[in-house]
Amino acid sequence: MTSNFLHPSLAFLMLAAVLPFLPGSRRWRALLVIPPLVAIWAAFTNQPGDYMAISWLGQGLALAHLDPLSGIFCQVFAVMGLAGILFSLHVEDKGQHVAALLYVAGGFGCVLAGDFITLFACWELMSIGSTFLVMLNRTRESVLASFRYFLYHTVGGLFLLAGILLRYKATGSFEVGPIVPSQANPYDWLILAGFCVNAAVVPLHAWLPDAYPRGTVTGSVFMCAYTTKTAVYVLARCFPAWEILAIAGTVMAVYGVLYASMENNARRILSYHIVSQVGYMVAGIGVGTAMTINGASAHAYAHILYKGLLFMGAGAVLYSAGTAKLDELGGLAARIPWVMVCYMVAALSISGMPIFNGFVSKNMTIQGAAEAHQTLVALGLEIAAVGTFVSVGLKLPYFAFWGGKRTDWKRELKPIPVNMYFGMGLLAILCVLQGVFPQILYRYLPYQEAVSGFHPWAPWNVLQASMLLGFSGLAFYLMRNVITPHKALNLDFDWFYRLIGRILYTVVSRPAAFVDDIWTNVWNWLGLGSLMGTARGTVLFDRKVIDGIVDGSAHGVRGVGYLSAILQNGRLQSYLGLLTILALGIFAFFWYGL
Amino acid sequence: MTEESPERKGGLGGLLDRQLEPSRVRAWRTLFFLALLVAALLNLVVKNEHPHFGLDKYPFFWPAFGLVVGVVMVFIVKKVIQPLIKRPEDYYGDL
Repeated sequence: MTSNFLHPSLAFLMLAAVLPFLPGSRRWRALLVIPPLVAIWAAFTNQPGDYMAISWLGQGLALAHLDPLSGIFCQVFAVMGLAGILFSLHVEDKGQHVAALLYVAGGFGCVLAGDFITLFACWELMSIGSTFLVMLNRTRESVLASFRYFLYHTVGGLFLLAGILLRYKATGSFEVGPIVPSQANPYDWLILAGFCVNAAVVPLHAWLPDAYPRGTVTGSVFMCAYTTKTAVYVLARCFPAWEILAIAGTVMAVYGVLYASMENNARRILSYHIVSQVGYMVAGIGVGTAMTINGASAHAYAHILYKGLLFMGAGAVLYSAGTAKLDELGGLAARIPWVMVCYMVAALSISGMPIFNGFVSKNMTIQGAAEAHQTLVALGLEIAAVGTFVSVGLKLPYFAFWGGKRTDWKRELKPIPVNMYFGMGLLAILCVLQGVFPQILYRYLPYQEAVSGFHPWAPWNVLQASMLLGFSGLAFYLMRNVITPHKALNLDFDWFYRLIGRILYTVVSRPAAFVDDIWTNVWNWLGLGSLMGTARGTVLFDRKVIDGIVDGSAHGVRGVGYLSAILQNGRLQSYLGLLTILALGIFAFFWYGL
Repeated sequence: MTEESPERKGGLGGLLDRQLEPSRVRAWRTLFFLALLVAALLNLVVKNEHPHFGLDKYPFFWPAFGLVVGVVMVFIVKKVIQPLIKRPEDYYGDL
């Protein structure tokens, strides 16, 4: 390690290594806040540059490349790490904490990676950590979802690995850097596909709404922040101005809100909405101007804060009420008022309401796209903004906290640990601070020269957002009886992936079963016959030879014992007589025998 | 957070509970409609100097956009798309 650089993942990895061995049931939890605090310190003090260059198997690896783009992601990852750990401090399961620590460490590793080998290793570390964050919810559906999640990410990882290796073969370099669209080769597309799996680009997104609603209450808070945003970072790093990403991002933005409007489970609504929000970032990267890359970075920062807060709010409801299904909730606003307030701060942030941070980040991407004459992209993102407010800003909180009911005083609610409020409070304060003082966010954007061209608090921007959201609210008011959620599973692209899984299973298992049948017959005729013949011979040998010897020995021992019993009669004259016979026998043996 | 009677509930929870009185609900609704009216009227004064979509140069474009897109989106999603793709909750046998 270079003296003036501290890798933000270091403390996370160290604590993950020692945590399983720490004694006691509670005291070790105080240590959990140390890694994010160290990471925050590192994120604010590390200077741009290349650090931790090592040689591995003849390859030069750059474990840390820090520039404004990786810097802003490091910073928000560190802040979110602190909020997530505060939110999860009450959890006694060390496994969940270790998984979260490794997962966050992987996130830092990815955004700082200067080469594809480091990137891939950290990518997989995140995949493993997050799989456990789903699995450790310890329900049947969580365990099944975690295996599917791992399969999706393994396939995505293999795309990435194939692309990396083919790229190395062609270029002789593992360096991570921008790829020009017009000079793209098939291996670049493989890398792009690997990134797009983690970015939840439609139709590769199905893992996200499958797994995130099934993770632990606290695990999903971590997951909603890191996997997709790491992918956004690497897309911004390697694939800026790829027009296909502008299209894909717009499709994601709209697709996510359509499903979010349909779903019943609060955490699945939020999961679909990650797809939509990441769509804004992917579109910004695809448009590829300084303003839209800034917009994507700013939106990633703001999104991590408010989406983490949304998952905390929905998680707190799930923790307290025992369900996150909207049709089973309602009437809770007065029962858990501060959860509702924190959730609403996040809901208004994600909707782009003035005063909240989504307002200062979302419009940067939309305006940037419009100024780059990507009118359809900008229009799609505005449509998604309406859907966002209707689904996550109104539908979810309305049916979770109100639902047209009076306060449900009878419902049994589990007390919410105070640390969960600390986590939520921290993010809520940051969402408002960034909204009111955008410079807190803008000063860290990668292209400072483009920041001055955007004024979020211009009167027209405020009025436009207010009108758009206000009248979207009116639409919700008019359609509240239509949008009422019901229990249902809505088919998505995972139907195809499950079908592919079943086909692959059949393709592998049927020939295997066929070969197995033939082998069984062959074995019955040849193998089993010879085995049985050998067994019969062994039995015969055992019975006639082994048993004969053993039986003979037994007979002998029994005879000797019987004779001893006869001879040991307690009469002295008999013993003397026997001794005499024995002595004569020995004398005869020596006299005649020798 | 154990069960508490509405009469004894103070603080933010009590305040929120009292907003569910029918008269308060009507007042909030009126306030909401008034806010919408004010926003729409402000559009006559504060205008879009840099329209990007053509029609957005006219006043009331964004109120209409929000309302129409919201209503149409909810209708299409809930009445057209969801009936086609809706299945029982345990369709995949995961639960």
